[in-house]
Amino acid sequence: MSELSYVGKSLRRKDGPDKVTGKAVYTQDVKLPNTLVGRILRSPHPHARILRIDTTRAKALPGVKAVITVEDTRGIRHGFVETPRYPPDQEVLARDKVVHVGEEIAAVAAVDHATAQAALALIEVDYESLPAVFDPEEAMKPGAPEIHPSHPKAPGNHSNIGGTTETEWGDVEKGFAESDYVREDRFECQLRTHGYLEPHVTLAHWESDKLNVWTSSMGVFVKRAKLAKVLDLPYSSVRIHKTYVGGTFGGKIDLYSHEYCASRLSMITGRPVQIVASREEIFSAYRHAQPLILEIKTGVKRDGTIVAQRIRAINNAGAYRGSGVVVIFLAWGFTMAPYRIPNLKYEGFSVYTNHTVRAPQRGHGAPKVRFAIESQLDMIAEAIGVDPITIRLRNARAPGEQLPNGDNTHRGGLIDCIALAAQKSDFLAKFGRDRKAPPKGSIRRGIGIGVSAYMGGTLIYPNGSAVIVKMNDDGSVVVLTGAIDIGQGSETVICQIVAEELGIGMDDIKVISSDTDTTPQDIGAWISGMTYVTGNAARQAAGNAREKLLQVASEKLGVPAENLVLKDKTVRHRLDPEVKMTYREVIAASVALHRGDTIIGEGFWRTMRDEPTHPSLATTKGRWTENYAFSAQVAEVEVDIETGEARLVKALTVHDCGFPINPALVKGQVDGQVSMALGHAFMEEVITKDGYTLNPNWLDYRMPTIHNMAISEDADVITEEYRVGQPYRTKEVGEGLISGILAAMGNAVYDATGVRLRATPFTAEKILNGLKAIEYEAKKARQGEAARV
Amino acid sequence: MILADFDYERADSLEDAVALLGRMGGDARPLAGGTDLLPSMRMDNVRPGLLVSLTGIEPRPPEALQDGSIRIDALSRLANLENSDLLRSRVPMLAESAHVVGGNQIRQMGTLGGNLCQETRCLQLDQRHDYQFVAPCFKRGGECCYPYPRNGPDTCWSVYMSDIAPALIALDARIEILGEAGSRSVRAEEFFSGNGLKPVRLGHSELVRAVTVPPAPRGFGWGFHKSTVRGGLEFGMAVIAVALRLADDGKTCVEARIAIGAVREGPVRASAAERALAGAALDDERLASAAGEASKEINPLPHHGFTKRHLMDNIRVYLRRTLAKAVERVRSSGRAA
Amino acid sequence: MLDVIRRGAAAKARTGSQLISLCVNGEWREVAVKPRHTLVEVIRDMIGLTGTKASCESGTCGACTVLIDGRPVLSCITLAIECDGKQIRTVEGLAEGGKLSAIQEAFLDQGAVQCGFCTPGMLMSATALLERNPKPDRHDINKALEGNLCRCTGYNSIVDAVLQASGQGVKPVTK
Repeated sequence: MSELSYVGKSLRRKDGPDKVTGKAVYTQDVKLPNTLVGRILRSPHPHARILRIDTTRAKALPGVKAVITVEDTRGIRHGFVETPRYPPDQEVLARDKVVHVGEEIAAVAAVDHATAQAALALIEVDYESLPAVFDPEEAMKPGAPEIHPSHPKAPGNHSNIGGTTETEWGDVEKGFAESDYVREDRFECQLRTHGYLEPHVTLAHWESDKLNVWTSSMGVFVKRAKLAKVLDLPYSSVRIHKTYVGGTFGGKIDLYSHEYCASRLSMITGRPVQIVASREEIFSAYRHAQPLILEIKTGVKRDGTIVAQRIRAINNAGAYRGSGVVVIFLAWGFTMAPYRIPNLKYEGFSVYTNHTVRAPQRGHGAPKVRFAIESQLDMIAEAIGVDPITIRLRNARAPGEQLPNGDNTHRGGLIDCIALAAQKSDFLAKFGRDRKAPPKGSIRRGIGIGVSAYMGGTLIYPNGSAVIVKMNDDGSVVVLTGAIDIGQGSETVICQIVAEELGIGMDDIKVISSDTDTTPQDIGAWISGMTYVTGNAARQAAGNAREKLLQVASEKLGVPAENLVLKDKTVRHRLDPEVKMTYREVIAASVALHRGDTIIGEGFWRTMRDEPTHPSLATTKGRWTENYAFSAQVAEVEVDIETGEARLVKALTVHDCGFPINPALVKGQVDGQVSMALGHAFMEEVITKDGYTLNPNWLDYRMPTIHNMAISEDADVITEEYRVGQPYRTKEVGEGLISGILAAMGNAVYDATGVRLRATPFTAEKILNGLKAIEYEAKKARQGEAARV
Repeated sequence: MILADFDYERADSLEDAVALLGRMGGDARPLAGGTDLLPSMRMDNVRPGLLVSLTGIEPRPPEALQDGSIRIDALSRLANLENSDLLRSRVPMLAESAHVVGGNQIRQMGTLGGNLCQETRCLQLDQRHDYQFVAPCFKRGGECCYPYPRNGPDTCWSVYMSDIAPALIALDARIEILGEAGSRSVRAEEFFSGNGLKPVRLGHSELVRAVTVPPAPRGFGWGFHKSTVRGGLEFGMAVIAVALRLADDGKTCVEARIAIGAVREGPVRASAAERALAGAALDDERLASAAGEASKEINPLPHHGFTKRHLMDNIRVYLRRTLAKAVERVRSSGRAA
Repeated sequence: MLDVIRRGAAAKARTGSQLISLCVNGEWREVAVKPRHTLVEVIRDMIGLTGTKASCESGTCGACTVLIDGRPVLSCITLAIECDGKQIRTVEGLAEGGKLSAIQEAFLDQGAVQCGFCTPGMLMSATALLERNPKPDRHDINKALEGNLCRCTGYNSIVDAVLQASGQGVKPVTK
């Protein structure tokens, strides 16, 4: 590897100083004069017909400037996916009926909050309650209340199936028949939510035929596209401005009604309109993660090699299609990527229920799928007498392996990850220790491993990223990128890449980002492709500028370009440092000699250049990603067997991130995902009853606090190289590292206690009940023995 | 989201505050740290017409009285109590119970009196009701109960969560109350009504003025445990406070006081378990049996996602451990811990 | 001061607002507030210091933490009118003359900032801790910061930042 100066170093965040001094401007910090307060009227019913809406009294209230219902919209639908099979299905405000508690019915803009609140109370709505359904398996049965009679239906009499994914290869029944051991298990994951600290906020200002929007999101270009569509405006009339974003985790990609409402209310009143979602609204009306039910049947050979696997996934999608049809596709992807499965049958159902619509949450199905598969694999391993490490090494895909969908693992480091994780954690020495020789006292320790794969970029609108590197004539640089920093450090990473390619310091580069008017298109921060896709676009743009610098310098110095190097804002002869020009001189020369070429570097990148679009969500046909990231994670837990209380003591994450552009940022992602995973594992649950959210606040929805964090170590298996001017394949680290550790915690709890839980979260009650059941069985067995004697 | 309008007056003294509260009928509320009142007002569960601020009244630090009791001003900030050298040496259980309340900021703002006067909690209650649970429940002056639809208007099974109340009961503390007619003093356990609709026995123009803890007797040992999921920041699953008096043999229990909070409409004493311990030799078996009895006797209400069964299991184990800790404290220190 | 009180009383009679004086980051400010105005609203909207964040508006996440007379408090459940005459410090007041404080530098050195939304509140809680306890151990740090939720970092880097800022042997991770 050549000597790198910026890439590969743990440099401080570019936006760090702004964030620690309070200067960082988030959406709610943007202040415009004469701003109106917007508020939304929400449905109190999970399923009801709207018989009548009358906004007259609300409109007449002094201080109210506008009130809108669906009649004031263009009637254009939107959806998370918009394909011929899954056309957009949701309007921005309810029409004719409401299908979940909290659904948006009307919006008001008023001079202050109190007036807006009072106006909501003056909107008269008559409802006729309809039978509702909350459980997806109930919703799939014939005769269940039909939530969307007009939607295209899957074959068969299933009224609430919003989408399916079905695929198979090989012959699973034959595979099971040939297996030495087969087992079938059902796993369920709870409803949990993102918990971003920054609430949803949108400020919209319609002025001079242009809509200016500031909103907390995960991608300004997809947001612009969706918003412009429902407003029936050309993209050039909608500008999504840059703001800092206070955390997203998947919960801010969808188009939200309040974004439309703020925009529309501004277009009507001509004044800026700000809508802030309260934390309670976020917990009870906004979009949580997808809870999955997974039924898995797996057959293996005597030595643990997987022969066949059949999976049925049921997603509780909520009341509109949302991203439910994506998660059931992804659940297949996360199933088949890490291990070889010669015979597979996969069926996924995304089912409507009268709940709030579900959204992707970090990992988008992978945590639940890996929890299920890795738990079952451990059960299989125990039954056939193979240890958890060996069984995984036996099945793990190797580098360069072709997958049944046409993808390739390329330089996938899964085998190395598993081996390194086992070695660093001293896994086999610790595994089973407390079960074989229980220590004194009530604390038991256990160790578990989980494996996952994730994609580093895939194809979904807008499919490609572009970056512009604009040289200033003093040799410093402005980088224009549509990438949005949601906390993951995109601006810093892009800066490091440009610095490395152009041989200039980080302080000489300013990044202007995530503004749909001034920065080029970007895929956004929601398909784990920032470093790979936008990073390569940045590399290419900087490379483009570099070529121009070299060419002009070559002309002026009379030296062939291949003998020139860039260093410290100068172009110099590789062998004779005295032969040099400063960038300032080069750019001046370029302007003079090349008809005003001020040296602008242009770069663009797209994953899977040879594929037209993303795979079919329904059939999985088509290539998904060219960039698989693998990981093996080990969890060490402690359980108090008298109380059932469990905690994560230590997490080890071994990942093949390809090449870490900034190791400190990678570590930050690892720690954050360990924290999120342990929340999922032990403490988080959105409690709903009959479509209502019982715990819409941070006291009763228990996210990890500083008390709960474990020791978190990580190691990377570096499988790629970074070389100046060469495309690179960094993998992703922002989403794929929740799954393995979650699965590992389930396996570790089993190792500590002998209690196998098939549903998260692993509450003290569930663990204790499991221990009681074990004790009961043991007692029965002893009594049986005694009776025989 | 924003608060409704209200009037605001600052009281110069507790007597002044009492007079102001008295003048407004039930429409005024005292404001100390505000950590319970303000969130309730945000949720629009209470709309006082007047807040009587006690901010200008400086509490005295905890003081030792002539007879050895410790007197603590109700306006003391919880952070001052958890860090008070006097309390940590003389009434450590009280310091510990203040230490586990909420998060640091809550302890910096909240007061002892406010902690005792906090409202009961229930999932369906503690929200804004803009579109969920809109029709008011009995506690909000309405006509239904969401978690227990068959309950009548006099029954509210919302749970009283104060961490400090069980400690005061275990310590047999007294609570001094100031009203328009002057001061009165009650035993801590008499302060709590056990009725979720109005958990404390305090008139609308009365204020808690101080708490007095008697001196620890010979052979005294204490134990305190707050069960949570996360180890901090939360209200409790169960809060266990134990005070024991052992005979000079270091084994025989003379008296036991067991108070458990966060599982019913008020803190409750496990009286039967206490009686079972009195006069008995406290070995592991005895403690386990008493804890088991207490968990049944307390009859916890399910709350905040915890089932009754699980709360009983939790109490059974942690009460046993807390009793054991109390015994250990007696033995290791001789008299007061 | 008397003049302020007189004007305040007159204003109150007219609008329900009264003038209060807050010393924010060393600068006295006079604002007209109604009793219902919370401190976070006054800081962010009336005084215009938007570094302090509003996240849950119910005192459950710590993002709005500011210091009043050195104590960390939740400004979203503190009435501004209660703070008349008090010393208030926000994140904007931590750096002196453009030089970041030790804890601010340490947050950058340890990678303890990701999305940054919890950061102002964390810094204020950490600052209050270090002013009271210059060498806190991990338990002290946990107890001081337990009321500040973070969803991005997993907290370990934040603990390391406090240890670094208090000179307890933790070295910077970034350059």
